[in-house]
Amino acid sequence: MTDRAALLARIETLERESRRAFDDAQREADALFAQYQLSQLVASGGSPGDLARSVALEAVRLAAVDGGALWLGTPDGSGLHLMAAVGTPAPTELPASIEDLDDGRLWAAGLSGGRAVVVADETPVILLCLWAIDARTPDPDGIRVIQLARHELTVAFQGASLREALERERQELTAVVSGTTDLILQVDSAQRVVRLNPAGERLLGVNAADALGRTCAEVLGCEVVGGHGSSACPLAEVMLTGRPVAYRETAVRGPDGAPVRVAGGYSTVAPMASDADDPLERAMATAILRDISAVRALEELREGFVATVSHELRTPLSLIRGYTETLLHLELEPAEQRAYLERIDEVTGRLAALVGQILDVTHLQADPLILERAPVLFASLVNRLRGDLEASGRPDRLVVDLPDDLPPLEVDGPRVGQILENLVGNAFKYGPPEGLVTLGAAVDGEWLAVAVDDEGVGIPATERPLVTEPFHRAWNVRESRIPGTGLGLYISRRLVEAHGGRLRLEDRPDGHAGTRVAFTLPLLRGRQVPPGRRRLPTKASTLHEPKRA
Amino acid sequence: MPPPSPAASPATVSAARAAVATSVDAVALRAGLARCGRIVARHQRELTRLDTILGDGDHGDNLVIGFRAIDDLLADLPPETTPGEILRAVGHRLVAAVGGASGPLYGTACIEAGFRGGDATVLDGPTVAAMLEAAAGGLARRGRCQPGDKTILDTLAPAAVAFRRAIDQGARPAAAWGGAIGEGRRGMRSTRDLVARRGLAMRLGDRSVGHRDPGAVSCLLLLCALGGR
Repeated sequence: MTDRAALLARIETLERESRRAFDDAQREADALFAQYQLSQLVASGGSPGDLARSVALEAVRLAAVDGGALWLGTPDGSGLHLMAAVGTPAPTELPASIEDLDDGRLWAAGLSGGRAVVVADETPVILLCLWAIDARTPDPDGIRVIQLARHELTVAFQGASLREALERERQELTAVVSGTTDLILQVDSAQRVVRLNPAGERLLGVNAADALGRTCAEVLGCEVVGGHGSSACPLAEVMLTGRPVAYRETAVRGPDGAPVRVAGGYSTVAPMASDADDPLERAMATAILRDISAVRALEELREGFVATVSHELRTPLSLIRGYTETLLHLELEPAEQRAYLERIDEVTGRLAALVGQILDVTHLQADPLILERAPVLFASLVNRLRGDLEASGRPDRLVVDLPDDLPPLEVDGPRVGQILENLVGNAFKYGPPEGLVTLGAAVDGEWLAVAVDDEGVGIPATERPLVTEPFHRAWNVRESRIPGTGLGLYISRRLVEAHGGRLRLEDRPDGHAGTRVAFTLPLLRGRQVPPGRRRLPTKASTLHEPKRA
Repeated sequence: MPPPSPAASPATVSAARAAVATSVDAVALRAGLARCGRIVARHQRELTRLDTILGDGDHGDNLVIGFRAIDDLLADLPPETTPGEILRAVGHRLVAAVGGASGPLYGTACIEAGFRGGDATVLDGPTVAAMLEAAAGGLARRGRCQPGDKTILDTLAPAAVAFRRAIDQGARPAAAWGGAIGEGRRGMRSTRDLVARRGLAMRLGDRSVGHRDPGAVSCLLLLCALGGR
């Protein structure tokens, strides 16, 4: 009986022990799984803020409390900053920063139902504060799981800070690359484009998405527009030699297919991973190019200026010097002296005109050009021109064909007078000695369309876009030895454009030899001819049978 | 020599389906577990896709690996193994074979259900109801989760409740499975609008809204397979 009772008691004890062992094993398994989940969470990355929030949420869950907050120490040890607060709000306001761990412990001790858990006391310091509304004790198993993970948490927060710093740096670099006005293009070892920045997209008129994966020769079009051949590609060169190219000029294909002069540097990129998923990591060489068309244009202007000045200023100066020497050293008759003085006067006039034009060009480069607009009748401007021509003795060669009822213009009168003087002067200069110059005009919508036709040698079609650029003269007039600066048409075009109009060079519509310079000027607002009375530009017919003015 | 896989013979399968109607024996359970293996294989890519959004993108692959291991396990278990023992063995194999959190969670659910099944050779309706409740309870404890956290439990818990209610109202197990799967599906769908509060998806916070939880989806698939659907 006693044996039986002892046996039963023994069985009961064994069952209790087995039950306890089972419960312990269950708790251990729960803790292991909780640890596993926590480590998976901290290994999954994210910013320090996200990580802090996840860790705080997990800690609140593990400790079976109502809320929690996490403070993270700065690398320089200057204090701990609140990174996350989760769950039920704390009974008192959470400090945004804490001086050190001891301060944090003190603060948490004053929090009703609060408990401070120092997760890590090495850098970065991690302090966790947990609280329960009914001041119940946090689950010790949960707290143990958190403390077992202290090393992982430290590494995770270090990693997150590093990632955040790297990401910030990457964003700053991307902002620089995207924001620069220079083209930045990167290629891989097969010269396929892996990066093209927005400035490059604008310069080339392509989408980066379309450019990626194509070769740099296709995207830049260097060979097509005469920049350089495929054998002279600077990107290939830097990859081959490993040495950067500090400066090289070439041409690339612009949005309209025309060449754009560019200059810049080329360099290799230290290889990161040739089989990387991210194409940017395969970048092998970088080109940083700048559109130098404007610089080139300025240089050409300067070269043209020097050439013109050296020719157009020196020629009359040497003439003047010759005449004055003659006057000084030779005993001339008064009539002969007068003839020389007249020649000096004429040449001085040409010099003064040239200097005036150069000053005009300087003034025109100013942007914006200030115009003094006022209502002006086109006929009065033509009359003034005719008066000037009478003084110089060729009025009968100008044929004017204007409708009687032209509405007034809203223009800078003296400037438009200058345009007419330039264009009509050119027409006489380049036409035959007895050739006629016809000046016509007609209303076209809000504009007055003016045409000046001459009987001169004409401007070769290929030269037409160029002759309205400063200092450029067509080859046929350069050969004609007619003196000129190459500024008149440029000044006229700029003045027309300053009024909002356009200036074009055309063949004469009547088929005669010569050139038509057509341009538009703004009519006075509100005074346009109503549609019923509008005279369409009929220059061809009116100019074909000119009325002699 | 291991016995032939019960799922291999059409006659055994139909016998198993018939058995589900009133009670569950080892043969029917083995058939149900074989269906589990096939259904996760069919949905492997979808489960992995969902997990790519919310987790680490391996849920479908992990379950397929796990149920292949279970096919091998079932072939090794002697024919006289009781349903409860089968489930405990399956649970241990799932914990060992399935990567990620789903292995320990499904494993715990199976082990708890297996304990509740005891050494009965045939499981009646009330026992199956208690086993489903034990599975949900064990999973909630191990995962420290509750319904609404956007987890497996959002499918399993309402399914267990529905099964129990149907049995208590006198329904046969086949009808109770129908109701349980219906409630499980409703719970699974609800995870789309939930903010994840457990697992890797937790780090996404509000961004986890708009996607179904892969665990909730796989749990519904397993319930369908076990319920003979």
